[in-house]
Amino acid sequence: MNDILFVILRRLRRPLIVLIIAYAISVWGLVLIPGRDAAGNVVHLGFFHAFYIVSYTATTIGFGEIPHAFTDAQRVWTIFSIYLSVISWAYALGSIFHLARDQTFLDAITRRRFATQVWSMEEPFVLIVGYGQSGIMLARMLDRTGQRMVIVELRTQRASSIEIDEFEHPPLFLAADGRLPDVLVDAGVTHRKCLAMVALAGDDDSNQSVAIGGTVLNPSLRIIARVHSQIARANMESFRKIELINPFEAFANNMRLDMGAPDKLRVVEWLSGLPGGARPSPLNMPMGHWVICGFGSFGRYVADAFDKAGVTWTAIDNDPSVHCNNPAILHHGDAQENLREAGIERAVGLIACTDRDAVNLATVTRARALNPNLYVVIRQINVANASLIDASMANLRFIRAEVVSHKVRQLLTSPLLIRFLGHLDEDQGDLAQRTGASLETHVGENVPFMWVFDCYASYRGLREALAPEVDPPLTIGDLLIDPENPPQRLDAVALLLLRKKTEIPLPAENTRLLSGDRVLFAGLRGVEATQERFLLEPSPLEYVRTGIEPPRSWLFRRLLRQDSKDSEA
Amino acid sequence: MNLEKVIFGFFVILAFTLNFGFFIGGIDNPQVHHPGHLFAAVVINLVALVMKFGDRTHIGATHLATSLVAMLQLFAAALVWMWHLYISALPMDGPTMSVVVSLSGGALAANIISVVLLISETLRQTR
Repeated sequence: MNDILFVILRRLRRPLIVLIIAYAISVWGLVLIPGRDAAGNVVHLGFFHAFYIVSYTATTIGFGEIPHAFTDAQRVWTIFSIYLSVISWAYALGSIFHLARDQTFLDAITRRRFATQVWSMEEPFVLIVGYGQSGIMLARMLDRTGQRMVIVELRTQRASSIEIDEFEHPPLFLAADGRLPDVLVDAGVTHRKCLAMVALAGDDDSNQSVAIGGTVLNPSLRIIARVHSQIARANMESFRKIELINPFEAFANNMRLDMGAPDKLRVVEWLSGLPGGARPSPLNMPMGHWVICGFGSFGRYVADAFDKAGVTWTAIDNDPSVHCNNPAILHHGDAQENLREAGIERAVGLIACTDRDAVNLATVTRARALNPNLYVVIRQINVANASLIDASMANLRFIRAEVVSHKVRQLLTSPLLIRFLGHLDEDQGDLAQRTGASLETHVGENVPFMWVFDCYASYRGLREALAPEVDPPLTIGDLLIDPENPPQRLDAVALLLLRKKTEIPLPAENTRLLSGDRVLFAGLRGVEATQERFLLEPSPLEYVRTGIEPPRSWLFRRLLRQDSKDSEA
Repeated sequence: MNLEKVIFGFFVILAFTLNFGFFIGGIDNPQVHHPGHLFAAVVINLVALVMKFGDRTHIGATHLATSLVAMLQLFAAALVWMWHLYISALPMDGPTMSVVVSLSGGALAANIISVVLLISETLRQTR
């Protein structure tokens, strides 16, 4: 509020002074010039009357000559004061209108309104800095899950497109530079309802400023940042609360998993898809020789993944600076020749990942002419070029924005899910198969919804069941029985049990629950709400555990107690 | 020399001196308090008030506050005078005059603070 007030006051200082002086001169003149009443006596106008006359004259209302008809001397002065005051008013009004259209002033108003709206947010929200391709995709995805958002974007035009884009809950947005700490504060980085900040701003350089700024302003806030370069990565890794997403690495990692451990990838993708959506099908990438066209940062990660998966590869890049002494990287000459030289005829797959969509398309067409059975992975740079890339009939496409938004959403779902996925990644045994089978049996084919069940004795519904002397003890299996019609099972699976510092992935259903445990469940839509009834009051839990519905009202509880006393006697 | 500072100081001090000029003299003697003097004091105080707009420093805020107080008191004085003369339609008398003058005395106190602020600010600058 202060900013706006000060801008107004400072801008209107001069016009106001001009007006005051014009009025003062006009009033003074009318007071000094002698008038005559009807009888011809000399009378002077008082300040009150003079001010009255000037007031209506200056605003061109003109009530006439009062209290007596003017003398000519007074009329001369009135002419002068009319012109003086009308000009001053014109100047003052001009300044006011100019101010109302002034960009600085309008920006100050927009900014103030935005900050007020953010501060009055009652629902939890995610702050997204950067509304580029990844930002747009992420915002749409989060909007579909009902998540509220605040968006900061540097480019004014991009920011104002938020207003046109279709959202179920229109996000709050501001066109400002997220690198400035006061912008971040206005956008709610220190807000108690801010769940996390996602930094997707432009290049690595500005993005690391945003992320580091955010974490310094609010050290307890989760921050998810997109990163490409090693330097930015190292800078941000020194902050504990910043989680990094490298889309190139993530995609290459998925390719490696698909080649080495397809079951793992299948479960990871299954759990991190959009809830309710169809389960992603496996990629089935062939093992053998691969050709990489374009050895930029993405190409390097892919090559690295191939090395780990034990697949041979040859890269082609026409930038001579890329060529080091690695014989696997070719760099010059005719494109067709290059493809031959790279072994396209014996290759099983091709990755077209230069940074131009048209070049990628051309490469794919050329390579298919030489070897029609290729498994083609194509990189799509611009989201708008989707139909062009469709035409290439590629088996798989890499869209940076898609990978980023997918990863961010996965991170935002639940920190426990990330821990579970970590276990899955490190697992050497059959955790992936077991998870997959369990999900298939109890949840079905679609991507499940995720939630965390907090097993705290402070909840009224759990207090009695969690008491140490209760027999049989409360188990995870109890929480999976439908309180409406036992022993029907709820369509859910317990994925991870977090007990203090230990994490148990895919806990057995007869695992005993202790107070303070947190359980990550995956299940169908609506199961979470059913399960929440266990927290509110003890009767549902008692019902599913004993099959007896305990009386709820005071009268029936008394009767029951009486009953048991009688039977004891 | 800064012309802006000269103009600012000029108006602040003129507001004070005009106020003082009106205030001085027997408190209930209409003969020694001219309405024109009060008018000039109101106008110049108004100008001084507007000049203090938009300064975000702490001392600027205090400056603005003193001017607002002076303005309030002078307006009250002018209103009392106007009411007595035109609405009640009575000639000026001693009790009303003393009300007007004492109100302007309050404004004078505010103006003194304003001048003190101006001088202290100047002294701090030179140091």
